[in-house]
Amino acid sequence: MLVVWCPDWPVVAWGVPLDEPAAVVVANRVIACSPAARAEGVSVGIRRRDAQGRCPDLAILERDVDREGRLFEPVAVALEAITPEVEVAGPGLVGFPTRGPSKFFGGDELLTDEVLAVVEPVLAGRGVCRIGVADGVFAARLAARAVRTNIGNAVVIPPGESASFLAPIAIGEIGNPELADVLGRLGLTTLGAFASLAAADVVGRFGQAGQIAHRLAKGDDEHPPDLRRPAPDMAVTWQFEPAAIRIDRCAFAAKALADELHATLSANGLACVRVAIEAETESGDVHVRLWRHEGALSAAALAERARWQLDGWLHIARAARQVGSGGSTAAYDHADAAEPDDVGVGAGIVRLSLIPDEVVPATGRQLGFWGGRAERADEVTRAVARIQGLLGPESVSVPEWRGGRGPAEQISLIPAAAVDLGEERVATKPHFVADPWPGRLPMPAPAKVSADPAAIDLLDAAGGSIGVTGRGELTSWPAVVVGKMRRRTVQEWAGPWPADERWWDVMAHRRRARMQVVLDDGSAHLLVIEDGTWWLEASYH
Amino acid sequence: MAVLAERLDPELLSKLKPVTLAQDRLIEVPEVLKPLVPWGGLQRGTSVAFDGVGSWSLAMAVMAVALGGQAAGQAPRQEQEHTIDESSGGGWMAVVGVPSFNLAAAAGFGVRLDRLLVVEDPGPGRWATVVATLLESVDLVAVAPGVRVGDRDRRRLSARAREQESVLVHLDGGRTWPSLPDLTFQVEAQGWEGIGAGHGHLQRRRATVAVRGRRTGVASGGCEVWLPNEHGHLAPCLEAENLIMQGCATE
Repeated sequence: MLVVWCPDWPVVAWGVPLDEPAAVVVANRVIACSPAARAEGVSVGIRRRDAQGRCPDLAILERDVDREGRLFEPVAVALEAITPEVEVAGPGLVGFPTRGPSKFFGGDELLTDEVLAVVEPVLAGRGVCRIGVADGVFAARLAARAVRTNIGNAVVIPPGESASFLAPIAIGEIGNPELADVLGRLGLTTLGAFASLAAADVVGRFGQAGQIAHRLAKGDDEHPPDLRRPAPDMAVTWQFEPAAIRIDRCAFAAKALADELHATLSANGLACVRVAIEAETESGDVHVRLWRHEGALSAAALAERARWQLDGWLHIARAARQVGSGGSTAAYDHADAAEPDDVGVGAGIVRLSLIPDEVVPATGRQLGFWGGRAERADEVTRAVARIQGLLGPESVSVPEWRGGRGPAEQISLIPAAAVDLGEERVATKPHFVADPWPGRLPMPAPAKVSADPAAIDLLDAAGGSIGVTGRGELTSWPAVVVGKMRRRTVQEWAGPWPADERWWDVMAHRRRARMQVVLDDGSAHLLVIEDGTWWLEASYH
Repeated sequence: MAVLAERLDPELLSKLKPVTLAQDRLIEVPEVLKPLVPWGGLQRGTSVAFDGVGSWSLAMAVMAVALGGQAAGQAPRQEQEHTIDESSGGGWMAVVGVPSFNLAAAAGFGVRLDRLLVVEDPGPGRWATVVATLLESVDLVAVAPGVRVGDRDRRRLSARAREQESVLVHLDGGRTWPSLPDLTFQVEAQGWEGIGAGHGHLQRRRATVAVRGRRTGVASGGCEVWLPNEHGHLAPCLEAENLIMQGCATE
């Protein structure tokens, strides 16, 4: 197996030049950063604030999974020049079996040179790629990770030596943190130590998950070859009439197909570990791409991969036409995608098929494990789809926790179309945001946050207006709040709590101070002052 | 007949009973409110309104319990392991056209955000359709329409809620609803504690809750609660009771 790994793909997908420090942050943690940022001491896993502390010029980017999927397709297309059996594991990670190509090019080393030669032009200097060759996918991936750039871009493990390559690697790489933790405490700190146990003992103690991990540690594939059955004819197909050129239409079909395929598979007690996504265009071209997933592909994961794939194809078709018309010379456009409407005729997709390529018996990692819960979520998902049909895809949203100080900043709404309502979503749990947020308002949170805050006046007993000094103190004793229509006496008050946010960024810098007031009618409110004006930000309704 | 009924196995009797009525299937309410609410829970297929300063907080506390989140008003917000809870499902809810509804506060009262849908702006002509669609699939739909709801929409939505056994929650006290909601929680805020003239911060609020039913009239008296208490939950206001009892003792 040969694996091509593009490290830090989330950053590369944004088209950041290698010498500019940038990082992609999810939930306040860096998940990928550019080499320039790494040179400044930024590393994956550290907190956003620490990253900014180490590298003040760091550009912080949001994660855009769809974009990552779309822009990775050209890499897979480039590899098709070498072998037709390219399988994508996820954005940034692609592999293919080496047996044929290796013989053709005269050995694994020469093959890796060839791969490098086709992939590097596509990356166009915006990212790097690393290549690992080993017996199994798992070992090949770790081999790609073991590449040291000063020595070369590839690590080739000779046939039969995968187990000895894996032996000294730490147990944490097994891809199952819970199991790795237990094994570590049992004194099995390397993959080799774990692999040396008898398979029967491992299965007896750790069950299915242990068996898979044990196979990986030995350098075998996740599923033993004899367990694989030729996929029965379960392919699902969607015809487009007229041809689809917009990704939202394709995505809709992909979702429906994924649900159908998933239902068929689970009715047969099967799970899909490799799926072929096939699309036929108006001009009769047929595109096929294999996608692999460790474990099993859930319906939502299937739909997501199909969406990335179609988006990638449509994007390439668009870029190709632009090249044809002399519009752009890049093989694909790193800048924001043009509106899909400007696609001419000829690139439309007329047929989409999902073909289960490799299936394994379902082991219960499937959706639906919780019974009623998934059914209920399906029902809710259908209602969401109806409303999206009525009001547009962004109209229904679900809340997620974000860090923040103000009452309106702690939760952000993301489109319901982007999540799987049946899955557990960690960002909806209160402990998702790692403490602390210094300067955050004390509990409880106000129940009502003005969508459109009203300007008010806060006056002292003599009728003079009140401000907040640079030291965060009130200039006078508040006595009266004057709103548009009403005038209320302040009975109790607390604060101000100053918040000097994003002082390192000229554009986004905000300096505010908040205070709580209780008025004579018993109502409590949150006031905020910015640039000398008080606003009624929220009410403790 | 009666003799026969006595001799039959009670389990069999329960099976022989006619189909369960919607009003027999109740949605759980916080323990404090149970004595106030007819039947001791929210009847599916009805409309419920929350009125008065502090009523949104009460609505959040009620929603939290209705959705089967961690029981509000119990042990201070510990991270409970949701194992059984998770598998038993729990309800879903939606908030339609109330952009000022602070979800962070709702989460503070124990509302599970993974069971929550938000339609921020359903647009003027589509409000009723969106609410009707949601009433089909989720248990609670919270609304505060800015304009008065037409009588036709009211009938349509009431019928939909009845059929689908969901509950329509009016966050505006039912003011825009053409008829009286089936149940109205009237909240009267009694004052905050923890805040002074320039020191402390808002900690807990004492409030009285009274319940008015369309058919049942005003429930006997109200009850005094912390809304929220110092842990951010709805809790009975025991201090007030203690004070009254002490008063009795000294007399």
